[in-house]
Amino acid sequence: MIKTSKMLFSILLFILIWWAIQYLTKTPEFILPSPYNVFASIIINKGILFFHSLITFFEIIVGFILGIILGIYTGILFIISKTTRRWLFPFIIFMQAIPIFALAPVLTLWFGYGIWSKIIMTTTIIYFPITIAFYDGLKRINPMIVNMAKLMGANKITMLTKIRIPHALPHLSSGLKLAAAFAPMGAIIGEWVGSSNGLGYLMLYASGRVQIDLMFSAIIILAIFTLLLYNITSYITKQLTKWDPKSNL
Amino acid sequence: MNKINTKERYLAIAGSLKLNNKILLSNFKININLKKWNTIIGQSGLGKSTLLKIIANLDIPENFSHSIKINNKNLYRFSWMAQDDLLLPWLTVIENIFLGESLRREKINFDKAHNLLNKVGLTSVANNLPSTLSGGMKQRVALARTLFEDNDIILMDEPFTSLDSATKMHIQELAFTLLKDKTVLMVTHDPLEALLLSNSLYIISNKNIKNIKLPNTLPLREINNDTLSYSYNNILKIIQKSYEEQ
Repeated sequence: MIKTSKMLFSILLFILIWWAIQYLTKTPEFILPSPYNVFASIIINKGILFFHSLITFFEIIVGFILGIILGIYTGILFIISKTTRRWLFPFIIFMQAIPIFALAPVLTLWFGYGIWSKIIMTTTIIYFPITIAFYDGLKRINPMIVNMAKLMGANKITMLTKIRIPHALPHLSSGLKLAAAFAPMGAIIGEWVGSSNGLGYLMLYASGRVQIDLMFSAIIILAIFTLLLYNITSYITKQLTKWDPKSNL
Repeated sequence: MNKINTKERYLAIAGSLKLNNKILLSNFKININLKKWNTIIGQSGLGKSTLLKIIANLDIPENFSHSIKINNKNLYRFSWMAQDDLLLPWLTVIENIFLGESLRREKINFDKAHNLLNKVGLTSVANNLPSTLSGGMKQRVALARTLFEDNDIILMDEPFTSLDSATKMHIQELAFTLLKDKTVLMVTHDPLEALLLSNSLYIISNKNIKNIKLPNTLPLREINNDTLSYSYNNILKIIQKSYEEQ
């Protein structure tokens, strides 16, 4: 997790650089608005920003949770069933190979203009990193630990719940943190392709009307939300892997 | 749990072991003395660890093939101690000790676990994580975990190799004292360790496993000039010879 004080410092630095570039190069406001104007725009448009943010945040959170559940489920399925692994693995790689941009119109066509196509997009984008990270963790255990547990009389369930899953938690944590950073992308791409609500829609809308300050407001809010989602995820995973010195350097 | 039949005094192990198409052990036959400390010594790469895994009925690498048979194998339950302590880093020391019962979903005997922890002298770190312990302490926890299982036969795959010499001596003595009534089968490449601990000693040479006569004294043997020269003349020379034959 990024420390709050350090985070505040880097945000301030970022705003300062932004402001300096805008001021020194004398870029017109409709190309790069100054930080002041963007924050003014956030205050002025707070109602509309709040409404669209809520929709996007909802899509991201639901998609994120669904992706985590599906990813964890697939990881476990892969470790307990060789057949599933053999048949499903190429399919998952295949899905990952298709650019999400190409998938977006199809998902909108199938699941409609509403929030579900965006939720599914978010789920799709994070499913792969979570599945691979978790499966890797389940698999990469010292085989002698598994052997010892067998000698001690572990059954299939306790081998999973008491040996493999705890061992995989640090790996899963990496997957979850990647997912937290990727998840907003899924929802936004979904909204770009077809939507009449959400921050992604608002960005396109504002950009079409050369309301660059409003577009930047939407971007800033999305960035803050992503940072928050990442930090919360990071905090939770840290609690789960307290025992692992390598996870807590 | 199956208790060892008192009439039985040996665990007979016989067969051959191949790595790819190369014969490592050909038609060997050994009798492991029950309730004694048995040691197999040999240089690296002769299939010692694999032999232990076969005895314990564990998976071995696919490029090994064997025809090894163990008499009445199903009567015994095996424990495993290795060079790597195999402690689970997410469990505390005491949880690692009663791991077996929690894996079998049995009622956990906390008193027994604490009692054993006391015997290995680690009561003060019961609730610590293994990552906070030294190598020697971890190996003592592994010893307590092995004792907690109370199995008939304890298989040891060079359990003391990674320890520094002072710690090693201490843990060897501790293990010997605490495992007095158990059947131990240890593999090692250290002649002095073998001499110090063993009631009977087998050596891998020339694709066979032979019994070697030990000094008349009983273990724990002292390390002195006699044992040193014995180890050199009777063990190291045979290992060296088999090395040249290869």
